Amino acid sequence: MNPAAAREVYQKIVANISRVMQGQAGPTRKLLAALASGGHVLLEDFPGTGKTTLAKALARSVDARFKRVQFTPDLLPSDILGVSIFSQRDQLFHFHEGPIFTNILLADEINRASPRTQSALLEAMAENQVSVDGERRDLADLFFVIATQNPVEFRGTYPLPEAQMDRFAMQFTLGYVQPTEEVAVLSAQVTTHPLEELASCVTLADVTALKRAAQSIRISEELKRYIVDLVGATRTANGVQLGASPRASIALMKGAQALALFDGQEFVTPEQIQELAVAVIAHRIVMQPQARFSGLTARGVVEDIVQKTKVPA
Amino acid sequence: MKPPPLLLGAVLLFWGWQANLLWLGAIMGALVESALVFKARWDFSDEDFERIWSLCSLLLLAMVLFAFAQNDGLSIFGDFLTDRDLNSQRGAAIATARTASNLLRWLPIAFFPFLMAQTFSTRDSIPLTTISHILQRRWKLARKAGENPLPGRGFNVGFPYFCMTLLSASFHEAENNTYFWGFCGFLGWALWTLRSRRYSLAVWASIIIVAAVAGYFGQRSITYVQRYIVSLNAQWLARFLRRSDDFFQSRTQIGRVGQIKNSSAIAIRLTPHQPHDVPEYLREATYRRYENRIWFAGSSRDDFSSVNEVPLSATNQPYWPLVPERPARSSVRISCYLDGSENGVPAGLLPLPSGTKLLTNAPAFGLKMNTAGAVIAQGPGLLVFDALYGPGPTYDSPPGTNTRRANRPDSNRLGPPRPPPNFQPGSDENRRGRGWGRRYVEDEDRDVPPEEVPAIEMVLEELGLTTNTPPREAMHRLAGFFNDKFSYSTWQRGQKLSEGETPLSHFLLTSRTGHCEYFATATVLLLRQLNIPARYATGFAVHEESGDGYVVRFSDAHAWALVWDNLQQTWIDFDTTPASWIEAERRGTVVGRWFRDMWSNFKFELAKFRYGQSNLRKYILWIVIPGVGLLLYQIVFRRDRKRRRYRKQDEAFFANWPGLDSDFYQLEKQIATRGITRGEAEPLGDWLRRAVATPELADLREPLEELLQLHYRHRFDPLGLNTIDRENLRTLTSRCLEMLTAKPATAS
Repeated sequence: MNPAAAREVYQKIVANISRVMQGQAGPTRKLLAALASGGHVLLEDFPGTGKTTLAKALARSVDARFKRVQFTPDLLPSDILGVSIFSQRDQLFHFHEGPIFTNILLADEINRASPRTQSALLEAMAENQVSVDGERRDLADLFFVIATQNPVEFRGTYPLPEAQMDRFAMQFTLGYVQPTEEVAVLSAQVTTHPLEELASCVTLADVTALKRAAQSIRISEELKRYIVDLVGATRTANGVQLGASPRASIALMKGAQALALFDGQEFVTPEQIQELAVAVIAHRIVMQPQARFSGLTARGVVEDIVQKTKVPA
Repeated sequence: MKPPPLLLGAVLLFWGWQANLLWLGAIMGALVESALVFKARWDFSDEDFERIWSLCSLLLLAMVLFAFAQNDGLSIFGDFLTDRDLNSQRGAAIATARTASNLLRWLPIAFFPFLMAQTFSTRDSIPLTTISHILQRRWKLARKAGENPLPGRGFNVGFPYFCMTLLSASFHEAENNTYFWGFCGFLGWALWTLRSRRYSLAVWASIIIVAAVAGYFGQRSITYVQRYIVSLNAQWLARFLRRSDDFFQSRTQIGRVGQIKNSSAIAIRLTPHQPHDVPEYLREATYRRYENRIWFAGSSRDDFSSVNEVPLSATNQPYWPLVPERPARSSVRISCYLDGSENGVPAGLLPLPSGTKLLTNAPAFGLKMNTAGAVIAQGPGLLVFDALYGPGPTYDSPPGTNTRRANRPDSNRLGPPRPPPNFQPGSDENRRGRGWGRRYVEDEDRDVPPEEVPAIEMVLEELGLTTNTPPREAMHRLAGFFNDKFSYSTWQRGQKLSEGETPLSHFLLTSRTGHCEYFATATVLLLRQLNIPARYATGFAVHEESGDGYVVRFSDAHAWALVWDNLQQTWIDFDTTPASWIEAERRGTVVGRWFRDMWSNFKFELAKFRYGQSNLRKYILWIVIPGVGLLLYQIVFRRDRKRRRYRKQDEAFFANWPGLDSDFYQLEKQIATRGITRGEAEPLGDWLRRAVATPELADLREPLEELLQLHYRHRFDPLGLNTIDRENLRTLTSRCLEMLTAKPATAS
């Protein structure tokens, strides 16, 4: 697929989602960048801001298998991965695939499950495979996890382990929309939810091609260095206990490639890196407790680094 | 753990009252407690706290310097380094104690910025790493090694500051109990909020009261013990602190057992006006009566008369005449320290060549001399003057002068002289040397103490000298006697003296070894027994060349005899100490002496600077201020400096990137001149969007955006531009530049 066609696929999905999600062009763009770069996304926001709706809108827009797991405190790893059950008929164990064997997985309210269950996703998200009963099982080529969570300070939740956080390419919030757009949301839902009427607009093959096209976007050594500088700066920043990993650099590069594709460019420019820096880096940083209490946030640290690091021009 | 409200303000006020800084304490207290009214808070980061801490440390350092300078620490420690006698040790100890107590009293001022920062910050605790550089370093090293050490515990400055302020208040001047009861009150107040709720209020209060009462009596008894020890100490010290040399008495080391030590520090510098024309001796004082190992000025003690400076005239420079209208043959420049004081003004005996007629170029405030030839000058701590001297009459009084008048108030009585009625030979009073006038003396310059007479007579008999021997002959034989049969040593063995033996007779008859004081004393007494007037002179011997002048060390201190020359009617120097004494006194390694001399030279230059022009303290302040300023600057801008250095590395790295020859940068520069500048971290795209949003550049939007695309391809596309596009970039840029320059800049 040439870049122009890939860009067309992107625009189709955006148009489809925007029929449901009003005024969320930025988050949609980031979501699709994650999809195209092969990363997973964690949406964190207050209840009712449209996290699930966005995930479902994307799932419906793509003609692919979609499964949803509602995370609850009593959810077990086997509820996600699958389980081998002994069959009386042929006296053998048969593996029953869990919801993870799909193309798009919506892990709703992921922080309500115990860390044990959350960790079940680790291997799947990092390596596109699961090991059950000592046997390796590959997942689909397109495997995209959209997880949502409420801010961790709320009751009855388990904060995601750092290792799990690192598996997400991006984390971002939707935020409240402008009043006029919120009115439009109300108007659209007077009778039915527009989501019900949403039809798929691209095929699985289109999305796979989009991913491949994103990989072909060129990036100069200088910008790679810029990415490494940005990520490296988090490791020595004030108030940071644990900086971002090289996995963050990779995710940032891939995300920037996808954005460049969306922008109709054949190479990455510094703007695209800056645009994704906070979404890609911030959630991987572990802040010092005192820094947290003094109001310093990971987001603030990354924004500060972006504003202070010399950008190639 | 925060202190209760108002506690810090109150304790600062209390500190101000106790430390005599009431207004400062009140202002500081009010500032701290203004946090109760004034609700704004700042979000200081760890780095900010580190900087404020560094500022406080600097303040402390400045205070150390200031306190040190204020207590004359520099000069006192200079003395201490050159000459470690009890006096300078005591001075150094006192200066140290004063500096320390001033410093402790001012501690709350130094750390006040830190307290304010904590009070007005949003944080309740500050990590320990901000104040401990060791922790900080360890933490950073661990980070560098890839570990993730847990951040240390935090603390609140409130209580530590409270304790420090109470400690500072303890250096109070008032001699009463206000501090103690205030201290108890504040501790009770502070503990009140922290008390354990397990026990009833009554138990808590009674324990506090018991502790306070016990503390009161405890500190009272400690004070008594301390006073007792201090008084013991004072009595003990007084035995040593008496100056051994002054104009009315010279306490000799005769009879003292063990090694005599003299510092090899430089005491005097001489610069002769004709090469090598220097006096052999510099005399400080002469003494007339010997009693119990002490030489007294005798009747010359109180007959000081002041010398008036002859003012500048057409023929003469101003000068201080010592002997009226006598021509002088030689002249020498002498620099010496006035190390005593009189009425708060530095004063001291001047070391002068014998036969000094007058002094010139002497910036003294006043000069006085007595009949025994001691000249005391008042002036700056360092006196540099020219002494003109030559043979002929000296300013010493002739033999026998004033003896009766000074010695016996009842001298108008006729009849043979009698001892005073309350005189008891060998009494304690006499031995202490205070009673110089107890024994009746007819002529001080011919007097020999009776207890020394037997030994003296035996020596004279040995030499075959009688009162009939001509003085020249007697002196000649005495000199030969001491030179042949005696040896010089600064070491005296401890030997029990037999009945009727004195240290001097032991020297003359038995040991025949000793230092210059033995020789000079023996010579004087021997001459006197021969009825030749003689006096005991102390001062320095000049023998060590240094540069174009001479230096005289404390170890060159010397004693010798003055003999009255009846023919010339003048006193002449007569030194019987074997010449080996100079070698014997030269002690210490060459390197050690070299270092001491360097220090001495430095001090000398400093003293010239100090007394020549103005107060040294001012200069210290002027040295300290820029230093502190420089350090402050470094603290404030250190972060920037680090970042700048980091950037420099980066720039070196960036310098090799492709596409840096792009013409677009000219355009960026041109647009920046219109006030639309780009920050380092702002991508060109964002900046250009800002630029074309201004009305004056709006019509350039399309070509500029096209140019940016070309530039970006040139810079960031690994494939780069082909030659056509590269040319396009160039031409389009120059066209845009032309359009830009054609437009008048209005926005800026």
